[in-house]
Amino acid sequence: MNISRRGFMKLAGVGVASISLSQLGLDLSPVQAYAAGLKIEGAQEVISICPFCAVSCHFIAHVKDGKIVSTEGDPDYPVSEGSLCAKGAAMLSMHNSHHRLQKPKYRAPYSDKWVEKEWDWVLDRIAQNVKKTRDKDFKTHNAKGQEVNRVESIFHLGSSQMDNEECALVHQGVRGLGLVHFDHQARI
Amino acid sequence: MTNHWCDIENADSIMIIGSNAAEHHPISFKWVLRAKDKGATVMHVDPKFSRTSARSDFHVPLRSGTDIPFMGGMINYVLSNKLYFKEYVANNTNAAFIVGKDYKFKDGLFSGYDKKTRTYDKSKWAFELDDKGVPKRDPSLKDPRCVFQMLKKHYSRYSLDNVSKTTGVTEENLLKVYKTFAATGKKDKAGTIMYALGWTQHTVGVQNIRTSAMLQLLLGNIGIAGGGINALRGEPNVQGSTDHCILWHILPGYLPMPKASMPTFEAYTKATTPVSHDPESANWWQHKPKYMASLLKSWRGDNATAKNGFAYKMLPKADDGEDYSYIFLFDRMYKNEIRGGFVFGTNPAQSVPNSNKARKGLDNLDWLVVAELHHTETSDNWHRPGIDPLKNKTEVFLLPSAQRAEKAGSISNSGRWLLWHYEACKPMGESRSMGNIYVDIINRVRGLYSAKNGAYPDPILTLDWPSFYDAEDMAQRINGRFTKDVEFKGKKYKKGQQVPSFVALGDDGSTSSLNWLYSGSYTEEGGNKAKRRDLSQTPMQAKIGLFPNFAWCWPVNRRILYNRASVDANGKPWNPAKAVIEWNGKKWEGDVPDGGWPPNATGKGRYPFIMRKEGHGQLYGPGLQDGPFPDHYEPVETPITSHPFSKQLSSPCYKSVKSDMDKLAKPGDKRFPIVLTTYSMTEHWCGGGETRNVPTLLEAEPQLYVEMSPELAKEKGIDNGEVVVVESIRGKVEAVAMVTVRMTPFKVKGKIIHEVGMPFCFGWTTKGVGDATNRLTPAVGDPNTTIPEYKACLVNVSKAKKVTELV
Amino acid sequence: MPKAFFVDTSRCTACRGCQIACKEWHDLPTTATKQNGTHQNPPDLNASTYKLVRFSEHRIDGKVEWYFFPDQCRHCLDAPCLEVANGYVEGAVIQDKKTGAIIYTDRCKQLKEDECEEVTEACPYNVPRRNTGTGMMMKCDMCIDRQQAGLIPMCVKTCPTGTMNYGDRADMLAMAEKTLVKVKKEYPRASIVDAKDVNIVYLIQDTPERYYEFVTADNSAVGLPMSRKNFLAGMTKPAKRIFG
Repeated sequence: MNISRRGFMKLAGVGVASISLSQLGLDLSPVQAYAAGLKIEGAQEVISICPFCAVSCHFIAHVKDGKIVSTEGDPDYPVSEGSLCAKGAAMLSMHNSHHRLQKPKYRAPYSDKWVEKEWDWVLDRIAQNVKKTRDKDFKTHNAKGQEVNRVESIFHLGSSQMDNEECALVHQGVRGLGLVHFDHQARI
Repeated sequence: MTNHWCDIENADSIMIIGSNAAEHHPISFKWVLRAKDKGATVMHVDPKFSRTSARSDFHVPLRSGTDIPFMGGMINYVLSNKLYFKEYVANNTNAAFIVGKDYKFKDGLFSGYDKKTRTYDKSKWAFELDDKGVPKRDPSLKDPRCVFQMLKKHYSRYSLDNVSKTTGVTEENLLKVYKTFAATGKKDKAGTIMYALGWTQHTVGVQNIRTSAMLQLLLGNIGIAGGGINALRGEPNVQGSTDHCILWHILPGYLPMPKASMPTFEAYTKATTPVSHDPESANWWQHKPKYMASLLKSWRGDNATAKNGFAYKMLPKADDGEDYSYIFLFDRMYKNEIRGGFVFGTNPAQSVPNSNKARKGLDNLDWLVVAELHHTETSDNWHRPGIDPLKNKTEVFLLPSAQRAEKAGSISNSGRWLLWHYEACKPMGESRSMGNIYVDIINRVRGLYSAKNGAYPDPILTLDWPSFYDAEDMAQRINGRFTKDVEFKGKKYKKGQQVPSFVALGDDGSTSSLNWLYSGSYTEEGGNKAKRRDLSQTPMQAKIGLFPNFAWCWPVNRRILYNRASVDANGKPWNPAKAVIEWNGKKWEGDVPDGGWPPNATGKGRYPFIMRKEGHGQLYGPGLQDGPFPDHYEPVETPITSHPFSKQLSSPCYKSVKSDMDKLAKPGDKRFPIVLTTYSMTEHWCGGGETRNVPTLLEAEPQLYVEMSPELAKEKGIDNGEVVVVESIRGKVEAVAMVTVRMTPFKVKGKIIHEVGMPFCFGWTTKGVGDATNRLTPAVGDPNTTIPEYKACLVNVSKAKKVTELV
Repeated sequence: MPKAFFVDTSRCTACRGCQIACKEWHDLPTTATKQNGTHQNPPDLNASTYKLVRFSEHRIDGKVEWYFFPDQCRHCLDAPCLEVANGYVEGAVIQDKKTGAIIYTDRCKQLKEDECEEVTEACPYNVPRRNTGTGMMMKCDMCIDRQQAGLIPMCVKTCPTGTMNYGDRADMLAMAEKTLVKVKKEYPRASIVDAKDVNIVYLIQDTPERYYEFVTADNSAVGLPMSRKNFLAGMTKPAKRIFG
């Protein structure tokens, strides 16, 4: 087995402490050290994959105290060899964006605002909507009298953002409900 | 992709057409440039000079929607100059097959056309069969009814003159590409075609891709290193989500969707399983019943038995001839036929064509569930600009979902590599993975049903459904398990153990698998192979950068599809310097071959194109909706009123919907004389819902623009950087004019035609960036896939009088 | 042996991985930008943009050329900015002996606004920018923190095409010379920019003015009383005398 490129790089990094500025021959006591410490020092490395195009560049998430503190390309992935494009390079802020949704939200019919809700409440309410609509519109036979056992009035769209395991699961559930309006980004 | 990303390095000639690889798959250029370093010629054929063109040997501007004439001209060039790989064509393709007497082609229409239904009776295109039911052949390729001769005749119409005056490409430029790429028709040369949505998003999308399959077969470029037809899949896991078929018309593993005309499991398998009478044809789809039985078994466990037809009855059936895809769904939504639905990680208010109509359609929903990272134009449709929220009835649920590094699981890259990613940290706030959300929703629905409660509860109650989401367990279910103790290939397996490959799958209920293509990815012997990170290769594999031990690849870890076509009848590679597989007298070396049979000269081999019923690459493809040979049809909205190839201006079969909002500009419409094409961007992702909320990316690409030539800008009195209005018959969009020499006016039939281009990633939920470009595009689709024609429609451009969307 | 970059712009696809990666590694904030008819954004280097891919397009003899230039501090061997800044505040700018990196220290904050302007003016490549909030002078630090930990600079790590290369100065110069021979076959006007004066060595495909005004030290005389090149020439070691 080859020595992994990432492993090699890590070895190269071992034992290299920050050089002290005094080595530069200046009295730097008032000067804040310019390399006061590597932000990924001591971080745990976790392999993930850029969620954009299907080159699927791998990246290393550096994790400290349960939070991603930095991301960079994974040199072991033979396709990208550690490189990333603009989007791939933005993994850190993409994950840590404060703009992200953090709580389920609900907008009631004819309301002009979102309200935050508990997961249990929204999921129960969604399930009730599904059942109500399915029960109302379930078709056992089509106009020709052929057995079709389907619901046309509920749809499911997405997603290529899901993992394979999630896709397999969603497909099973969608057909279990009897849906036929089922589509995603592969078509658009 | 038939091949994979690293394999691009092996090409001698690279044609990038219908793709802007450097911008939309930037890392692919690592491999394109490596090939170039070794002497490959890189050509970019595209309406716009882009970052891809900047790094290519040359760029050839082509009017949007004229790829078939461009490629047809090349097929004609290859045939008339005898530049094809004769041995390959004769043995591996259906060139020698005799086409039946009913096949005719006249003035743009094939035989069997029904004007009323806009469909063909494809039985008219069948091959002539011998008394055993095997297609008749003329190995000399001289019979006037053989595919080869028909092909020659069909494309003889694609002269340089005809192609040039349709595409707007000069004859000199045509010849430059034709000569360079056709030079790969030699045994020791490889040419690859890289395409993407620039080819698919047309009403002739599938036929665009057919032209590349035909060309690559003629040049012997399929199955070899540095060759192939390489679809650069766009979305993050669109390869995997397509394999698991998040699509109405197929079930996981590309199994056809049950139709109303197929009431039982037996009727289904009979109607959908191809039968070949040729003993040399592997006809791999003959195994379809095993894959379907295993899928249904994994969906319903003990509730699916051979006796009850694996509970096939409980599956929803689509009406024959009906279409349930995006365009039709949104039309039905607009017509109040849809009550509610789920939108997971996609943004149709932004990405569906004719989005003014799509947004109105969403208004008609009673309820909508959106699982997302951010607010999107879809989740927030109820308060979009110009709408009174107090009049909108939709009950909307917005569910926060986890980012990629906040969950574990696998995705499949464009080269079909199955890759595992790990959980780096817990999902932000209360967000959850979509798997977690969906398991919970279905469990709650199940909880509401009981045996006697509600409409036909059985399909829901009998599901073998997990109580919580566990990616590792799902990965195992996808691979498949034995449902009883069995012995397979001399090895004993216990009930519940992982199947070793899809060869172990049965149609008797002895196995389950959520996707036969992925069988072999998670086995008792090898564990979860998506996690493999071993870079080792044999010297033979290293020569072509195969990386067979890194992760896993479907099917059965085969890295280059149809690789039996890369060797001669004795199993010796056409090009020993870049061998994919080689027969050493006892077994194959290199890649995993397309079936382990010995070489064909032994008499025990099989034809290389094992997924085709007849085992041959299809120069003539009688299975498509719009004809066995691609022929030129203009986009539905076209600036011209006739073309030199036939009287049939646009596709006779394209799909469309009808409503007061589905207006189409007439051919040559003077109000809309300019061609619009739309595209993605390096810095933003598709509809932009995610990347617009990443400050560094928004800083780099902050607002909607429209790229236009200096010639057009001058004609319209528009300055670079000024806000303009782009208008089609369906809507208006504000954009900043990017006046650039990278856009070229086209000379078509002696007349100048302008083309403009716009990204579609900007939407109103991000303030001041602009709004959906798709308000301009028409809801018309390819007859085979119903993919919308985003790449060519008609617009006009004028200075904006008042700016509202970009402030 | 100091370190150097060889930036082969003939391989750049302007994917802007480097521009974004630099911001992410340094946790740099963003600025509000507008679309002004070009892909180049932000329009120029600024106090929170150390690395910027510049775009310039031309139709030359009927042929379209689109040039990309991932701009940044050149880490001059004898940096005028260092001389000027340290003339006012000792230790404001230092040169890391091991890597050759020109580093702006916290002491830069002691520079007055007009002194900072002088520092920027002194730069032949118009790179340093003052953060008006903190008073700090900002520019590329060659990822000195990463280098010290045995890691390569972030922009180099991120680059997919081999445009950004990092290594010992001698190796980078050799690579540049070798590449130039190859590139010249297709682009006869190609050249290596100011290799003897800087540690960030660019290969450009065409004449510098077809990129932008500060590609070379030569080109930067525009609008200045003294040519920046001459100024730079005067800034070699004995230049300390100028500031006494």
